Amino acid sequence: MSRTKDSRPGPGASPPVPDAELAVARMREMSPDLRGCAVLDAAGTELAISGGSGWASAGQELLAAAEEAGPQPVSQVHVATEDGEVFAVREGGLAMLAVTERFTLASLVLFDMRTVLRDLASGEGIPDRRATGPAPLGEPAP
Amino acid sequence: MSPKPHRILLDRVSGYADEAGAYLRRRRQTRRPFARVYAAGGRSVAYEPGTETARALFLAASRLIDAAERE
Repeated sequence: MSRTKDSRPGPGASPPVPDAELAVARMREMSPDLRGCAVLDAAGTELAISGGSGWASAGQELLAAAEEAGPQPVSQVHVATEDGEVFAVREGGLAMLAVTERFTLASLVLFDMRTVLRDLASGEGIPDRRATGPAPLGEPAP
Repeated sequence: MSPKPHRILLDRVSGYADEAGAYLRRRRQTRRPFARVYAAGGRSVAYEPGTETARALFLAASRLIDAAERE
């Protein structure tokens, strides 16, 4: 397992944009039902998005509506509609938003989001958890 | 004559698969929209679609769905 590491900010600071883009790419790779996702920083600004536009305002609206619902700070939100499912996860001052197809396995999506966001918020980069594939035919294995 | 052991195992596995398929079909037919909020302590609250909080959450969720589909 390797990490993308250079002069990184510590935990709590906003992660570099390339790391946030890597986190979005990792989510797309892990969740086949994903239509799109985004990472917002503590101020609600988009750090990375998978596509589309208007994630920041809609995400802030969702988190604000969830915050108004109860006295405790919100860690996760799951809304299932006729058109798709929406998830929001908060971790270390960051927030990740995801839109998936209907009837996706919510616990897996939330677990993936939390794992990716925790790696991102740690300030140590996104670990490369991809399995190394088999060597191409005709080439010796490393 | 009793059936062969592997037949019993196959019957059992296909029975489980049928049950799982039926569960998923029922879930698709009966599941209604919902909104669930999880607090930092692990407590979760589900909001019925008719409530004010659920309405705000559904509205924000539909805007996010639009955001994901906008190019």
